[in-house]
Amino acid sequence: MFRKSLLGLIGCLLLSFLLLAYPLYVLRPFRYQGPRELSAALAVMRLRPFLEVILVITALMFLIWVWRTTPRISRKIVALLCFLAVASCGVLSRVNVYELLFHPLDKPSFSPAPKTSLDGREQVIAINVNGAARAYPIRIISYHHLVNDVVGGVPIIATY
Amino acid sequence: MFQRTVEGVPLNFHLAGINNQNFLMRDEQTGTYWQQITGLAVAGPLAGHRLTLVAADELTFALWKSERPEGTVLNDVSRYVHDYAPEDWDVKMASTPTVISYAQAGLKPRDLMLGVRAFGASRAFPYAAVLKQKLIEDHVSGEPVLLVVGPDNLSVRVFRRRLPGSATPEFYRIPEAKEQSQSGVLLLDAQSGSRWNFHGCAIDGKFKGVCLEPLQVIKDYWFDWRNYNPQTTVYGIKQQIH
Repeated sequence: MFRKSLLGLIGCLLLSFLLLAYPLYVLRPFRYQGPRELSAALAVMRLRPFLEVILVITALMFLIWVWRTTPRISRKIVALLCFLAVASCGVLSRVNVYELLFHPLDKPSFSPAPKTSLDGREQVIAINVNGAARAYPIRIISYHHLVNDVVGGVPIIATY
Repeated sequence: MFQRTVEGVPLNFHLAGINNQNFLMRDEQTGTYWQQITGLAVAGPLAGHRLTLVAADELTFALWKSERPEGTVLNDVSRYVHDYAPEDWDVKMASTPTVISYAQAGLKPRDLMLGVRAFGASRAFPYAAVLKQKLIEDHVSGEPVLLVVGPDNLSVRVFRRRLPGSATPEFYRIPEAKEQSQSGVLLLDAQSGSRWNFHGCAIDGKFKGVCLEPLQVIKDYWFDWRNYNPQTTVYGIKQQIH
């Protein structure tokens, strides 16, 4: 019985690791992304939060089974470690690597043009919406890449 | 730059991945994945939707401030200032390898292009050539257009070259003059003698007060522009690329 439970746990671990690693592998920089693998990776990312929960619950059931049926402490520890690894994959799959790298601007702040100390030669990317003018220094936006903003009352996404 | 309201709901976007060196974004409301350069939803509940483009201008802060003194500017976040792009980042980017490449006479994958999608066609203008010529009269899908470099020698605006009554004006760039920097006058059209500024508006003469229709222009690397605009033609290159 222990073997079957352990196999089940290892199966859960392999699957949850694949769910975690495949999109990271496909969507990493400096690599060509083909259309089919791109849609596969995005499908994995979309279904993953749901699948990881099922895998963690399944792994937990195997763990409880091992805990109840085996007296040997070493086997309990092996099963526990497998379960923890499945749970870690579940948690890690919710981490957005790109946001760790580029730090989203959750609360962007703005200054009136005459009050900034920007060098006149600094390059900006500028938009006009409903008569309101907004400029994003390229130095800043080429780092954060995205700014969820509202200009002239219109929600816009500034991207670079 | 896009509007981020889809079907009446404002979406909040996050970075979510890389697709051939262009970012993928994910919105937290629907979990849809979007391509950053095209604004097209590539996977998820809103797949197939396209965000509405907001026309953007790349120019120096000084020029922008002179045009829009009442405007507001995104502030630095002091925590990340040291990570922001160094002054030579575009030089470094120019030598960063690409994963896709489209062989084209004289064009390298990371050559900067000014892309115009209008009148059912797409056409790319090598940025370096535009800066050099300062004024380009050309056609996109048979429609006359005008590219003009701003007084900062950096920004480029594109206009439809048509006047009321369907006339197709020919423009000349006024040689560098002191008055140019003050009034923003850049162009003279041969037929009417009107002088035109960088907004594409005539400030005197027969067409005083008339403005040319601005066209959206996207600055992008050649490989990226070509990837998303496979039918594009290129200014200065005769043959069609397919």
